[in-house]
Order: sequence, then structure tokens, then C-alpha cells
Amino acid sequence: MTENFTYHSRKNVFYVILGIVFIVFFVRLIQLQFLYSEKYGKMSAENAIRNVAVAPLRGYMYDRNGILVVDNRPSYNVTVTPVEFENKNLELLTEILKMEKEEVLERIEKGKKYNRFAPVKIKRDVDFQTLSFVEEYSGQLKGIEYQFEPKRYYPTKAHGSHLVGYIKEITESQLQKLGNFYRQGDLIGASGLEAGYEKYLRGKKGYELITVDAESKIIGKFNDGKSDIQPVEGDDLELTLDIKVQALAESLLTDKRGAVVAIDPNDGGIIALVSKPDFNPELLSGVTPISVWQQLNTDPAKPLFNRATLTNYPPGSTFKMLLALAALQEGVIDENWRINCRGSFTLGNKVFKDMHVHGSTNVVEAIQRSCNVFFYQLMLKTGLPAWTKYGKQFGFGTPTGIDILEENAGLLPSEEYYNRRYGKGKWTQGYLVSLGIGQGELGVSPLQLAAYAMALANEGKYYKPHVVDKIVEKESKKIIKALPVMRQINLKKEVWKPVREGLYRAVNVAGGTGASARVPGINVAGKTGTAQNPHGKDHAWFIGFAPYENPKIAICVLVENVGYGGVFAAPIAGLCIEQFLYGEILRNKLNQPKIILTNSETEQIRD
Amino acid sequence: MQNWFSENINLGILISALLLVLIGLASIYSATYDVGASDFFNRQLIWAGFGLAALLIVMFIPFRTLQLVSYPLYIFSVLLLIAVLFFGKTVAGSKSWFGFGSFGLQPSEFVKVTCVLALATYLSDKKINLSRFKNLSVAVSIVLIPVALIIRQPDVGTAIIYVFMIIPVLYWAGASLTLMLIIISPAAAAVTALFGITPFLIVLAILLITFFVLKENKLISAIIFSITVLVGVSVKFIYGKLAPYQQKRIDVFLNPEADPLGSGYNVIQSKVAIGSGGVFGKGFLEGSQTQLNFIPAQWTDFIYCVPAEEFGFVGSILILILFAYILFRSISVASTAKNRFASLVSMGVVSIFSAHILINIGMVMGIMPVIGVPLPLLSYGGSFLLSSMVMVGLLLNMYINRKEY
Repeated sequence: MTENFTYHSRKNVFYVILGIVFIVFFVRLIQLQFLYSEKYGKMSAENAIRNVAVAPLRGYMYDRNGILVVDNRPSYNVTVTPVEFENKNLELLTEILKMEKEEVLERIEKGKKYNRFAPVKIKRDVDFQTLSFVEEYSGQLKGIEYQFEPKRYYPTKAHGSHLVGYIKEITESQLQKLGNFYRQGDLIGASGLEAGYEKYLRGKKGYELITVDAESKIIGKFNDGKSDIQPVEGDDLELTLDIKVQALAESLLTDKRGAVVAIDPNDGGIIALVSKPDFNPELLSGVTPISVWQQLNTDPAKPLFNRATLTNYPPGSTFKMLLALAALQEGVIDENWRINCRGSFTLGNKVFKDMHVHGSTNVVEAIQRSCNVFFYQLMLKTGLPAWTKYGKQFGFGTPTGIDILEENAGLLPSEEYYNRRYGKGKWTQGYLVSLGIGQGELGVSPLQLAAYAMALANEGKYYKPHVVDKIVEKESKKIIKALPVMRQINLKKEVWKPVREGLYRAVNVAGGTGASARVPGINVAGKTGTAQNPHGKDHAWFIGFAPYENPKIAICVLVENVGYGGVFAAPIAGLCIEQFLYGEILRNKLNQPKIILTNSETEQIRD
Repeated sequence: MQNWFSENINLGILISALLLVLIGLASIYSATYDVGASDFFNRQLIWAGFGLAALLIVMFIPFRTLQLVSYPLYIFSVLLLIAVLFFGKTVAGSKSWFGFGSFGLQPSEFVKVTCVLALATYLSDKKINLSRFKNLSVAVSIVLIPVALIIRQPDVGTAIIYVFMIIPVLYWAGASLTLMLIIISPAAAAVTALFGITPFLIVLAILLITFFVLKENKLISAIIFSITVLVGVSVKFIYGKLAPYQQKRIDVFLNPEADPLGSGYNVIQSKVAIGSGGVFGKGFLEGSQTQLNFIPAQWTDFIYCVPAEEFGFVGSILILILFAYILFRSISVASTAKNRFASLVSMGVVSIFSAHILINIGMVMGIMPVIGVPLPLLSYGGSFLLSSMVMVGLLLNMYINRKEY
């Protein structure tokens, strides 16, 4: 009990000491919050420090030769700090900005939800006159300022709209999903590389603390700028793109609907990826006027639609090599197997036509002259399962996995597909015949066909297509290199030879359908295709690669609703190949006349 | 049941603690409103959930079990402190964290709990006599071993808390006043000497009056007094020999407002935050000081500014009352407890909480030096919230067992 006695006397010491501490705190609170509250309240009001986010420079993009493709230029946004905004100024503000009152109020209201003390972007990329008005009325327009922001700028002749993509102001739902990095009014990649590499390109925001006085006039940098956080530039992308080939392909497809995809067969790097009609990405970088949006969205030619990766058309005769390879590999035929083409093929009571009477034809000649009868018969002989099996190996029916977002898997039919569609036993061999010439229930994209051309050029080395070669990280100075992903399509060596020879002869030997793809001094190999189209004129296809001996470029060209592939698609491929391999269009300089086809040759290229 | 409940559960302490946690959560939400509030708030909410579970478990652990496990737990936690020096990750310059995915753990927070338990177990042994040098040095070592490890991290703020804890606990365990004077007066002399000659003389005067009141042995009094004077004078002498920039560092530590752009900046801004709150405050999420992030670390060490600005005097005083209630009520429980262990554990927790509150709120109000320690139950930080709630659990456990012998 003596112990408890000690506690009793000692506890008073604690009571007294703690009591003193709390009384001191209490007195201090009275002092701060009653006696000096006016003084501190005033200090707090004057302490109007604005926390202004500083937009980082978005990462640059360079093509394979180091040419700057996507750049930044300065622009100015008008901002309002919600807590300081006075409604009496609304009229004047809307007049200066030429905006609707509702729109201005809505933007201020949205900004309030995040931070009433941080400026909200009201209008982007204003012109000089607006800027000088804002400056002029700055005394009256409390809480209204302008802010620097880098804007996308495209210094080359090419648009690259579907490849590079565009950026736009972040939407409400994206804001909720993406969380802390973004604020209302921020820009975000909306399509193509801008969207796919957003995380690298965007950089890190900086923050600038600015002191303003009671009249909202900027006094200067808070704490001499020592508390500012510098923005970090976005990472650069080095692309596999050749911007000159891209620009040329875009110009060749002017006023047409179509696509061009060119791939480097040595690593799967995309050399050009064009979809036409396209749009000017500069119009969409930032705030897009509603009229421009409406025009883009209602245009029947669908300029926003990426034809290079999203179309799902039958490939026509460009698909014949697949069947030839399947038949040769499976041992169904050999190089010397011949048929006699009489210009048509009859199965039951159905007649399948050919463009010409080709006579006795082997596999090399069948590819060279695009003989349909040969492939009708070969399809029946080879059968659907083998055809589907090799189709899969060449990547049809699945997305290629290219590093830009939108891509179509396409359609590669199989037995299951027909069973599902028509019921087991309810479809006949007749359904297959047209598959042999790339028609019927079959859908591919130009990207898939270009990758297929690459595999033909490479004797089976199928690289995953990609656009970004290197990411140059700004903060860590690290370089991330994209390693080529390769898949070998394992076919016997002797299987490739006749097929590739057929492709060579189709362009270079009289009677071939691809003669207009020829390039002086370079051996081009390729195949034309003309896909029937129930909605209008045929779609023209061409796939090919060059040089034949040592391929450096594989290409696919699609021109919609024009007619024969040999007439409309092959010349575009030839010019793109020439530009890529020579770095310029040499045939103009050499003063060589454009390849003029003889009448008989023009007759031949109907495939 | 009703009877058992009111007899065994100290509702006052429990409710006060939970209210403080809720105020803390609201303040963290407000303080981080602009920098991704949901992230900080959700994390703290999860930790508060763990904390509540831990509080309830600790509260009902059988009394004897606590005593039995106190040494093994202490040794284990000290091993963790050693491990963190080797394998820990560095956060804000201190290597004091273990990372588990996105959640980090700070062993130094849990050592507070095990240290209090070990010290209480040791001192509650009837054979221990603090006037024996051996026993005294064991008791002091129990605290100084973790302190030495924590200083290596380096986390001086947390180390200071331990030193603040040992003095009251030794006193409560029966250390003589003479011993207390030997420990306290030179320290007081050293600090006051830096402030100036008058505070130093006041300390000496208080010391003399204490000797007189306690009728202390004249020789011992003379020795303590001369040591105190010697320490004070030599501190002043050493200060005079220091380079100007070193002097300035000490000046700023003692008077932060001497450096308005450095550490004084926080203090000035936090005073503006508290003062501008006035009587009723600016309203939740309406505090401009808070919302504009004027005060760095406002959701950790400077959390008290947030309710003070947004809820004014009413909010500020409520927090003080809740803390005061927990502390005074716990001292009263400690003084009536029938066994030394319960009494010493309660006083250990009271000392740790008091040290945190004194240093933290004093700093935020601009009447104490800037030392980075958080405010119990309110500040953002998972490990600290968890250990604070475990300590509240200990207080409640001791209350249940206050009549055990």
C-alpha cells in the first residue's frame, strides 16, 4: 500500500505539468484565434498564392532517318480561377473570348470540383488579339489570366493521321477512370501512337507558385521560385517510319479511298502506314471546332476510319500464294503439276470464270498470270483444313499485334466456321472454290497482307509489325529499344522457290499481271488482286517486295472501288518502293517515260 | 452484462480516441483534397480499420500473457530495427521502412509499444530498486538500445520521444527526486542557456527552491547545482566558439521565425492557418491555407493546422480536450491500479502520447522548435496510427485489469 501512496502524491506532479502544457496551448489558441485572428485572416487572404500547373512538352517523334515528324509549338490558353471569378465579368469575358455564356460557366463549374483555387482552362489556343484584350482588361477581370501550353505541330508534308493519331481534351469519364495525373482541360492522346504511347509521351507536369495581391494582380514568384516544381519533358519516340515514303503514298492516294502499308522485312518495322481519306491532325490537336468534328464524322468517306488496319475485305488473287504454299508443303502437288485452263471451271452445275484462257499451266505460271482455273482445282484438291492451317500461320484471322491501338482480326474461315454458319453437312465443296482465289467469306486488312508479303519475302520469317523503334526517356536518359519479335513459318525450302519465282515473273516477265509495279534498276516481286465488291466497282490490291534477291521493303496497296489491281494498285507500290530504296523518285530524273504498257500487256493484267 | 460493460470498459477513453481518429481522417481528406485525396484517405481508412481490430484484440489479451510475451516481443522488435538498417527502404532520407507492396511498415513505431511493455515488466519486479546503479542502468538500457538504432536511421524526432518517455516512467517507478534532478537540471540548463541569461537564471532559481523545499542533503545539492551551472556556462561558451552558420542553425531551431524562408516558413504558414481560422473556422474544405498546400507535410506533422483553420477555435479546442481527457483519465487509472505492471504500462503510454502532443502541437502553434514528430491518432501514416491505436488498446486493457494484483 505504500506504493499506491507514492503514486497518489506523484500523480499530482503529472497533473500539474500536463495541466500547464494544456493551459499554455489554450492561451496560445485564444491568442491566435481570437486576438490575432483578424491579422492572420488578412495575411491568409493576401497569401493568395496560385498553384499553376505547367504543361510539360509532349515527347517528340522522329522517323527512321531522324527527321522530326511530330513537334510542339507554343500556344496560349485563357484561364479562370473559380474562387476569384466575379459573375459581373461574365458578359465581358464571353465577348472577348467569343464564347457562349453557358459554356464558360460550365467549364468554371467543372473546375471548381477539383480545386477552386487552381486556374481552369476556358479557351485554348487563343489568337493574339484575344490575348491582348485579356491583358488590357486585366485590372477589371479578376482571376482571369492566360497560360502557356505547348501544342502539337507537324512540320512535314505528311499527315500520318491514322498512324500518329491526335490528342484531345480529356473527357469526364476518362478523368474518373485515370485518376490523379490528369485534371480537367488536360490533353490526352486519343488515337494512334499518341494514345498508345500516352504514358511515355505525356511527361510530368510542373507546378509554379505565383503570389498575387488582394486585387489579384501578380506580384511575383512565390519563394523566388524555389518551391516550384519543374515540368519533365515527355519521352521521345524514334519510329521505323520513313516520312518521305509516307508523304508520297499519301499524295498518290489523293482523292481516292484506300490504304498503303509498307514493312521492313528485316525487323517488322512499319515504313509507311497510310489510310485515305485522312484528316489534318493539327486541326484536332487541342480544341476541335464543332464544325470540323461534324464534318469528319458525317463524311461518307469516313476519314477517321483507319483503312490500313480496320478494313475487312476479301484479298482477291493476292491470296493465291497461300494456297500454292499449302498444297506444295502438304505434298498435294509438286512444282510440275499442270492443269489445262480453258477459261472456266465447272463444278456440278456451277461455272467459275477466268479472265483468259491460259492453256497448260503449272504453279509458277499460275501465279505469274493469275490463273483462276488452276487455283479452283487446287483448292478442291488441297481441302479446307490445310488451307486454314497455313492461313493461320500467316497471321490471318488474328490481329497482328502492332503497337497502335485499333486493329481488326479479319476473317479466315475454317470447317467449324462453316458448320456454325450453315450447319454440319449443309455446305458443299462449291463454297470453297472461290476461297482458292481469295474471294468469298474472307476478310483481311492491308496491314495483314503487308505482313504476309513480308513473310513471302523472308521465306517464312514473320516479324510482329511495330512502329516504335526506340523510346528515349527524358528523365532517366534511358533508351528502350523495341526488340524484333520473330516467328518462323516452317515450310520446306523447295516450297518457297516456285512461289517466289511466280511473284518475280508476275512483275518482270511478259504475261505477268504486276508489270506496272516495275522500278528501274530494281527487281520487284509481287502479285495483283482484284476483289469483287457487291457495293460497287472492284477493290484493287497489290502486294509485293523488293529487291527480289535481298528484300528491304514489303508492301501492300489497296485502292477501293476503282477496278484492276494491276492498273491502280501496282504503280503506287512501285513508286513507294522506288522512293524507299533510292530515297527519291529517280525515274523522273532519268527522264524515263512512265512505264507505258503495250495493249497486249494491259490486256494481260486483268487478273 | 450492462454491469460488466460499465465496470470494465472505459468508454470515455475509447470514444475520445475514436473521435480523434475520425477527425484525423477528415483532416487528411481535406489536406490532400487537391493531390489525390482518395488515395491518402483510403489508405488511412484501411489502416484505421486494422488499428481498430488491433485495439480490440490488445484490449482483451489476458494480462499475464502480456507480461509473459513482453521480453520476447521486445527482443524481436529490436532485431527488426537492426534488420531495417540493412534491408529497409529509404523514405524522406530515413532508412526506417519495410516495404510490402504498396504498404510500408516502420518498425520504430512498434518498438514504442514493446519498449513500454518491457520497461514496465522490468520495473514491476519487486526486487528492482532504482537507487541501485545496476538496476537503473538496465532500465535505461532497455530504452537506449532502440534509441541508438533509431538515431542511425536517422530519425531524431522519434528518438527524442523515447528520451521523453523514460524520465516520467522512472519517476513513477519510484526513482528518487534527487535522481530526477540529476537527469533533468543539466538538460534544462543547457537548453535555457542558449535562449539567454534570464531563462538560465530562472532554472537555477527553481533548482535552489526545490532543494530548499525537499530539504535535500547539502553536499548533494551543491554537486548538482555546480554541475548544472557548469553545463549551462560551457554550452554558452561552446556556442560562442561556433562558426556563424552553425550558430544560425541553432538559432533557427530554437526560434524558427528567424528564418522565414526555411523551417520558419512552415511555422509562419501554420500560425496563419490557425489564426485565420478564427472562432468558427472557414468550413470543411474551405481553408485556403490548407487547400493551396501552403504547408508542406500538412497531412503528417502539420495536420493540426487543418482542423484549426477549417473548424476554428471550436475544432482546435475539441481536439485538445479529447487528448487531455485521455491523458488525465489514464493517469488517474494508473494511480489507482492495484498492480505495478498495469500502472507502469499506462504511464508509459501516457508519457509517449504527451511527448508527441507537446512537441507536435507546440511546434504547429509556433511555441516549440520544429522537430518532425506526428500527432497521435490524427497524422497520416499507417504504422504510427496502428501503434497509437494499439497503445490506446493497452490503456483500456490496463483499465480492465486495474483491480488485479
